[in-house]
Amino acid sequence: MLSFLTARQTGVDDPVRLRRAESTRRVLSLELNHDRDVERIHGNGVNCIDIEVIEGRYMLSGGSDGVIVIYDLENSSKKSHYTCKAVCTVGRSNRHVHKFSVETVLWYPYDTGMFVSSSFDKSMKVWDTETLKPADVFQFDGNVYCHHMSPIARKHSLIAVGTKDPKVQLCDLKSGSRIHFLQGHRGEILSVRWSPRYEHILATASTDGRVCMWDVRRAAGSLFTLDQYNGDKSKASSEAVNTAHNGRVNGLCFTDDGLYLLTTGTDDRMRLWNSATGHNTLVNYGKVVNESRKGVKFTVSRGCSPEFVFMPCGSSVAVYGLYTGELVTTLRGHYNNVDCCEFHPDYQELYSGGKDCNILAWVPVLRQPDVEDEGKKGGAQAAVNPAFEDDWSSDED
Amino acid sequence: MLSLINVPPYRLSNDYIDHFYHLVMTQLNQDHAEVRFSAFQMATELFSRSHHFRALLVTNLQEFLELTVETDVEHPLPPPKEVARKLKTQAIQTVQVWQSTYGEAYKKLALGYHFLKQVKKVDFQDVEARTLAERRRQEEKQQRLERIYKGKLEKAKQEMEEMASEIEESLTEMNNCMTLIMPDSFNFFSSELPAVSEKTTEVSTERHQDTEVWDEQPCCSKDLSKEGGRVAEVSKGEEEKEDSSGESDMEEGVDEDVFIRSSGLMSRTYRLDLNVSSDLKVKETEENEAVVNTMRDLHRLISSRYLPVIQSWIQVFTKVGVEEQLMRRATDLKKSLEKVLRKHDELHIDYKARQRRVLKAGEEEEDDDDDFEEVPEKEGYEPHIPEHLRAEYGLDSISSPSSSVAELKPSEPVDRPAAPPMPSTLSRLKSRLCEEEQDPTCAAATLRVLKEKMTTATSTSVSGGSAKPTTNCSKQGEEMEKAPVIPFGLDLYYWGEEQPTAGKIVKYTSQHQFWVPHEVEEEVENEELSAQMKSRYITFAGSFQPVEHKCKAPMPNGSLCERQDRVKCPFHGLIIPRDEIGRPINPEDAVRLEKEERKRREEQPDWRDPELMREIEAATGEDLGSSKTYGKGKKTGKGKGKRRKHPNLTDLKQSANTSRSRLEKKVFNKSSMRRIAEVMNKMDTRKHEKFANQFNYALK
Repeated sequence: MLSFLTARQTGVDDPVRLRRAESTRRVLSLELNHDRDVERIHGNGVNCIDIEVIEGRYMLSGGSDGVIVIYDLENSSKKSHYTCKAVCTVGRSNRHVHKFSVETVLWYPYDTGMFVSSSFDKSMKVWDTETLKPADVFQFDGNVYCHHMSPIARKHSLIAVGTKDPKVQLCDLKSGSRIHFLQGHRGEILSVRWSPRYEHILATASTDGRVCMWDVRRAAGSLFTLDQYNGDKSKASSEAVNTAHNGRVNGLCFTDDGLYLLTTGTDDRMRLWNSATGHNTLVNYGKVVNESRKGVKFTVSRGCSPEFVFMPCGSSVAVYGLYTGELVTTLRGHYNNVDCCEFHPDYQELYSGGKDCNILAWVPVLRQPDVEDEGKKGGAQAAVNPAFEDDWSSDED
Repeated sequence: MLSLINVPPYRLSNDYIDHFYHLVMTQLNQDHAEVRFSAFQMATELFSRSHHFRALLVTNLQEFLELTVETDVEHPLPPPKEVARKLKTQAIQTVQVWQSTYGEAYKKLALGYHFLKQVKKVDFQDVEARTLAERRRQEEKQQRLERIYKGKLEKAKQEMEEMASEIEESLTEMNNCMTLIMPDSFNFFSSELPAVSEKTTEVSTERHQDTEVWDEQPCCSKDLSKEGGRVAEVSKGEEEKEDSSGESDMEEGVDEDVFIRSSGLMSRTYRLDLNVSSDLKVKETEENEAVVNTMRDLHRLISSRYLPVIQSWIQVFTKVGVEEQLMRRATDLKKSLEKVLRKHDELHIDYKARQRRVLKAGEEEEDDDDDFEEVPEKEGYEPHIPEHLRAEYGLDSISSPSSSVAELKPSEPVDRPAAPPMPSTLSRLKSRLCEEEQDPTCAAATLRVLKEKMTTATSTSVSGGSAKPTTNCSKQGEEMEKAPVIPFGLDLYYWGEEQPTAGKIVKYTSQHQFWVPHEVEEEVENEELSAQMKSRYITFAGSFQPVEHKCKAPMPNGSLCERQDRVKCPFHGLIIPRDEIGRPINPEDAVRLEKEERKRREEQPDWRDPELMREIEAATGEDLGSSKTYGKGKKTGKGKGKRRKHPNLTDLKQSANTSRSRLEKKVFNKSSMRRIAEVMNKMDTRKHEKFANQFNYALK
């Protein structure tokens, strides 16, 4: 780090390098931190969380009982110990609350005054954050599995919605109506993602094992479908359909730069694709246990030099190297299945929600100060917290 | 440095704790609740001591909870059940203790605690540590039971309303009946005691007249020393007297003599037991018949209907916990019913048999029949003909078979049919008889036939008339004794005759109505079958002959083997003649035994003597493999079954060893399944061969 700093001072290095190195280091030292708590509001499993990108301060979470909570993540108390308070809640008593499990919550990318939530009660609601009342409600024919809004779109304000229906629906916030269908899938749409690089590019994943890339300006058909065998027909099944996975595809995630697309399926595989060509990069992540019947919300780190994938895996969060496929570490802390995780790019923190009603904050634990302090520090810590002391009974001497 | 030496190894390095942690976790993963429980106890011990262990355990608390608290529904705790339950409750309590002491320091511990509390809804105060589902189930069950009880209660109440009046009515009826039979003046329930005392006073007054000395004691079941004759006279049939000779010693000799002389009794002391029967016996008579009948009906009604019903009401009431009034009413009813029943029992009503009336009618009929005189049958065979009528029938007095047999004596040889004592007056009659015998219609003819039959049956030689009957009889008796008793069979049926159809089989080649094949051998003779018909199998079992000899092989304890096998002793092999101390008498036997012994020694080296090894093992605590070698050397080790590796653990497989599982093992084992599949395939292919001309069978 010191070398990075001097290089930075002398102007040898690009400023980005220091940032990347430091954030990578921090990501690698993620741990369930004793100092950070998230208030327990949810009485049922947490299905989805989203952190807004403008300030990086507020976090949305949707529970499987329909409750939506907004947390304040910023620690303004100047103490190391901090519990993230819930700012406001759409509780069961709220008259507009979703009847069933909330599957996706999403901040409006340009403003925290609005967020969108979709639920198994076949509706998607656009909420006004101030009044906590839905500004608009879209009704659908089937359960809504997911929706997504382009984080960079300037020319449109479309929400792509994946439902039980094999048609991907596009809802326009400007007109408040469903303006388009994207036809091509044969199963339920479990995940939709806009490209963070091109505002009209959309990726959709379905239970039929296919992942389609669309340009919404040319909605007659998909641009291409991802093929796990890269066109090698000998390995593919007799059907002339390109499949991304052999099971349901239930997770999609673009890398921060939008160059790569990650998909996961119930064949316990995770695949990395070149999002421009649809080429399978054949990175081997090993077995990624995934038995979810719904969409899986996983995430990719931002601003690290080798990027990392945070993948909910049973009751833990597995951290993979994005390009190497190596399992870096496993974050264990939940007591039941983890449903979603979200990366906070500013502080390199990870928030994860699971069926055990907890939202856990994984905060980088900085390296302990060096040797000369250690005696004092250790003693002080022991004094502070006697629970860390060993307690061997003396009669055993 | 010194302190370092003193420190036990586990304090020196966390590696030991790491190792211990992994050991504990592997044991916790065992599918045996007792193993898990022990591992859990060890973990708790170390948890309170070592920070490192705490850290390790807390990082993997999910698995720990899953294995001990049963957080995962799909992975329930293994059997045995009681231990599993105990483990769960203990684990929950322990987690609570940990949370209170270390919860602040270890975040995951707190998280786990909250997880248990909020998601699994474990009530930490609840000692039974039931999960939410269990509790709900319990509640539902309770509610259902309550509903059922409520229904029952309602029903019982209604029934009671309906039946109470009825019951009371029958109660009063019964009471009235009883008062009718037993008038109130003779109220037996209250007058029982006075009746007894009356009698006793009566006795005592009489006694006063006779004796002067003994008077103070009340007389029932007391020793009375006085002239027992008087007392006996007094108490008549009701009293039993008993000789209590023990007391007679007390009396003075002179007095005794006088007493004896005057009274003729040996003793003055007698024990008197008054057995006053309080029982009343009511006999059913013509007068009280109606009353008794109703009473009987009522009795039956009460005991078979009302009492059980009331009993069930009371049961329901006690279960539900109904208001006191109802309960009291029910119990009152029951009490009064029981009282009436008891009274009825005390009455000892002697019911007449029910079918009395029917019988009476029958008797009358019989009376009618009596008008006719019964006449014995005349025609045909009359086995007993009175002596005075014998002549009338044309018989001599002794010729009847029964009497002749009776008169036959071995010392007095009489050739019965050949030379009967024939009175001359009857000779004419006799000749006439002979004529008559030719006539089959008359009685004499029948009689003759019968007689003939009888004589042939008793002895064939008698009919021959050449041999003397005495020798015949005795010989016959001997033969009879010797002759075996065998069951009747076909061979006996055709004894001494040619069996007409023996071994012949009639063949009906065609059952057809019209069409008959032209050459048919209708009968075939089967040699085997005919032999079977003529022969008889007799099993000859022989008689049991007890074994006299003993094995007598020397035993390790110094005695000789006492077994009495016929040929071979199960422990010492062939039984050979041996002398007093067990040595074989025949030298070749001795040589053979020696050889066998040597062979066995070779098989099992001396130093591996199983007993010795076991002793060493017990002393040193190391496994030298005694059980293994012993089992290998001889098969005797297998007799007891394999020694269990962990004798203190509950054997889980034992419970699975049911008849069903054993059968399953037999039925569903691979080889039998394969065999069955083969057979069925064969049947299938046969079908294919049979119907090969049909297309769907021709195709395979």
